[in-house]
Amino acid sequence: MPVFRWRETWSPLPDLEREVDRLLEGVRLHMQGIRSSRSFPQLNLLEDAESFVVTAELPGHEAKDIEVTIVSGYLSIRGTRRPPAEAEAESYRRRERFHGPWQRKVQLPDRILEDQLRADYVAGILRVTLPKAPSGQPRQITVNEGS
Amino acid sequence: MSDQDQEKSGGGGLIRLTGETGETPPGSSAEMSPRLLFNPPIDIYEIETGLVLYADLPGVTAEDLDLQVQDKKLTLFGRVSTECGKDLVPIHQEYRTGDFLRSFILSDDVDHERIQARLTNGVLRIELPRAEQSKPRRIEVAPG
Repeated sequence: MPVFRWRETWSPLPDLEREVDRLLEGVRLHMQGIRSSRSFPQLNLLEDAESFVVTAELPGHEAKDIEVTIVSGYLSIRGTRRPPAEAEAESYRRRERFHGPWQRKVQLPDRILEDQLRADYVAGILRVTLPKAPSGQPRQITVNEGS
Repeated sequence: MSDQDQEKSGGGGLIRLTGETGETPPGSSAEMSPRLLFNPPIDIYEIETGLVLYADLPGVTAEDLDLQVQDKKLTLFGRVSTECGKDLVPIHQEYRTGDFLRSFILSDDVDHERIQARLTNGVLRIELPRAEQSKPRRIEVAPG
């Protein structure tokens, strides 16, 4: 299962992928299937002053079938995308869409208020909002003089 | 890519996928800031009455989907809103937001008038019924 860390200096693969995407985009070449061959679902992590926001491209689910959990600093999302019941395996003429169980884990970059997590699912996009925990007040510690 | 051949045979003759490059979305103009354009992944399978096509269009709502048939060419274009919220700054990005465009050539066996489409949770389902006349028809032979 894909686990990645934010702000890690050693990350050649995403860099390479980004670079290849940029090159392809530059010549306006949109390769067939390039979006479907990557891990499912694709995630973005964003932040503003108050919160972190994780978005995922998750078309074709019911909100109740998406499981979002926070365990020891990791946000985990999981679910299953089932093919339509009427479709028989041998009746497929073309198959590019992902089906089956999936799970993604994200290490959160900072402390968050776990009880104020909010998840919305609109038009096939999951959006999890994680309010940042206020940074702790610096606490002065008195240094006692040895007697 | 090696699936060029499969490309042509996709859909059991009822449908053919068209070239993937050099297409411009309807209503686009050169002055507009360049938007990313993606080829949505699709599934096509056969049912008794015709074909069913599914396409993943995350972020597209029914108002922003343009589906049209012209000269046997079925084109789907889904516009995705790119604004993601006030001052959000990306920290890690695996996917980029853009519009979706893909087109298909329908054979004469598809009844263009009865094509139906439904968009649910970012997934488009198009039903392409086989035309009545392509079902076997028994011809009465009158005695001479």
